[in-house]
Amino acid sequence: MRLVINYQKCRKSGQCAYLHAELITADADGTPRVIVETIGKELREAAEDVADICPSGAITLQEN
Amino acid sequence: MDAPTPLSLEQVRGDLATFVANPYPAYLEMRPQSPMLMEFLPAGIVPGLDEPLKSWTIMTYDDVLAVLRDHDTFTSARNPFVEKGFFPQLVLIMDDPPRHTRFRRLVNKAFTLRRVEALEPWITSIATELLDNIGSGETDIVQSYTIPLPVKVIARLMGIPGDDYPTFKRWSDTFISSLVSISLEERMKNTLEMVEYFGKIAAARRTQGADDLITALVEAEIEGESLQDWEILGFCILLLIAGNETTTNLIGNMLNILVERPELWQRLRQDRTLVEPVIEETLRYESPVQQLMRMTTKEATLSGVTIPADELVTVFFGAANRDPKEFPNPEEFRLDRDLRSHVSFGAGTHYCLGAPLARAEARISLNAFLDRYSTLTHGSTPAVRQSQSPVVFGFERLPLRLHGGGR
Repeated sequence: MRLVINYQKCRKSGQCAYLHAELITADADGTPRVIVETIGKELREAAEDVADICPSGAITLQEN
Repeated sequence: MDAPTPLSLEQVRGDLATFVANPYPAYLEMRPQSPMLMEFLPAGIVPGLDEPLKSWTIMTYDDVLAVLRDHDTFTSARNPFVEKGFFPQLVLIMDDPPRHTRFRRLVNKAFTLRRVEALEPWITSIATELLDNIGSGETDIVQSYTIPLPVKVIARLMGIPGDDYPTFKRWSDTFISSLVSISLEERMKNTLEMVEYFGKIAAARRTQGADDLITALVEAEIEGESLQDWEILGFCILLLIAGNETTTNLIGNMLNILVERPELWQRLRQDRTLVEPVIEETLRYESPVQQLMRMTTKEATLSGVTIPADELVTVFFGAANRDPKEFPNPEEFRLDRDLRSHVSFGAGTHYCLGAPLARAEARISLNAFLDRYSTLTHGSTPAVRQSQSPVVFGFERLPLRLHGGGR
C-alpha cells in the first residue's frame, strides 16, 4: 500500500504533517510530502487515519 | 532600538463599531504597515490588567501563514484574558501540543469528510424544514435561517435539545462580543449558565449514554485516562461558539453576495458546479472569522520587523485574504482564481476542525435555495452588519425577498 496526495485538491491545511509526522512532512510553503514509500503492516492504521482526517479529501491509501 | 510607540485604536481604525461592521477599508491602510504595535484594549476593561493591552497586527498573507504554521513561536496556550480569569480556558483553540495533539486526535473522527457526508441527509432535512416554514416573500434570513440551521445541526450532533437555541445564541453572542460592549457581570453570568448547562448534560450521559458527541467524550480515553470535566465542558462550549456563529455568518455573507449579483444567481441555477467555487470565494472575500490571537514565546521577525518574546500578536484572516500579493484584484469577487489558498479556516495545528461541516452546511443551503427560488432581492428594510465583535464578520439583520417556488 502507498499514500497518494492529490495536489489539485490539497489546501495545505497542514493537519497530515501535524498529526502524522511519521508519514508526511510539509515543505516551507506548506506543501505535504509523503516520506514513507511503502506502507507496511505497522503503519497501516496511521495511514488510514491520515487519509481519513484530511479536511480536503486529498489523501488516499492505494494498492501499490 | 527604542520600543515603538503603539498607535491607539482610534488612530488606526477609527470608531470600533464602524471598524467591526466593515473592517476592510481599514485593512487597506493597515496592511502595508503591518506588523505594527497597536493598543488593543484600554486599561481598566479587564480587571487586573492595569496597563493598556497592546498587540501586533499581522495582516499580510505570508506573515499570517508564518504565524499560523509555527505554534512553537506563536502559542495559543497563553492568553492574558484566561490568565486573569476573564475567560474559561477552551480546549483545542487555547492549547498547543502535546495536549492539543491528543485531544485533536480524539475529536477529529467526529468531523471528518466521511462522517460529515453521512450527516448530509439530516442536515438537508433541517434545511428543508426551515425553508418550508419560510415559504416565499420577505424574511429576515438571519432569524429565519442562518441562525437556526447551524444551531440545530450542532445541537443534534452533541445530543442536546435543538429548541434551546435562543439561549445558545445568547451565550455565544456574549462570549465573542468585544470586551468593551458587555459588562463583566453579564459575561460571567452567561459563562456560569453555560458551564452549568453542559455540566448537567455531561453528568446525565455518564449515567446513561446516547448516540451523541457528549457521550463519546464522556466515554473517551486518552492514553488510558478519561477526560476531565473541565475538558468536556471546554469542548462543548467551543463547539457551541465555534460551530454556530461562524457558519451563520458564512451562509449570510454568501446570500448577500448573491443578492448583489443577480446574474451569478442565474448562472448558479443553470450550473451547480459553481456552488463550491462560490462558497470558497465567499470564504476568501468575507471571512466569517476575522481575527484570532497568539502570544510570542521567543523573539520573532516578520516582514523585517522584530517582535519581542511574550507579546500578543493578532492574526487578521480577512486582511490576509485580500493581500494583493497573493490575490490579484483582491477587492473583486471572482470565481476564476485559485480558490484553495484563502486562510479563512486557518492553517497548521489549529486548522478549523469543523471546516468539512461548515462547507457541507453552506453547500446544502445554497442548493436548497437554488432549488426553490428563481431570484433573490433585497428586503424592504436595510441589512445591518453586526458591530459587537471584531472576531467575526456577518449580519445582524439581512432582510431578503425570496421569489418563486416557496415549497
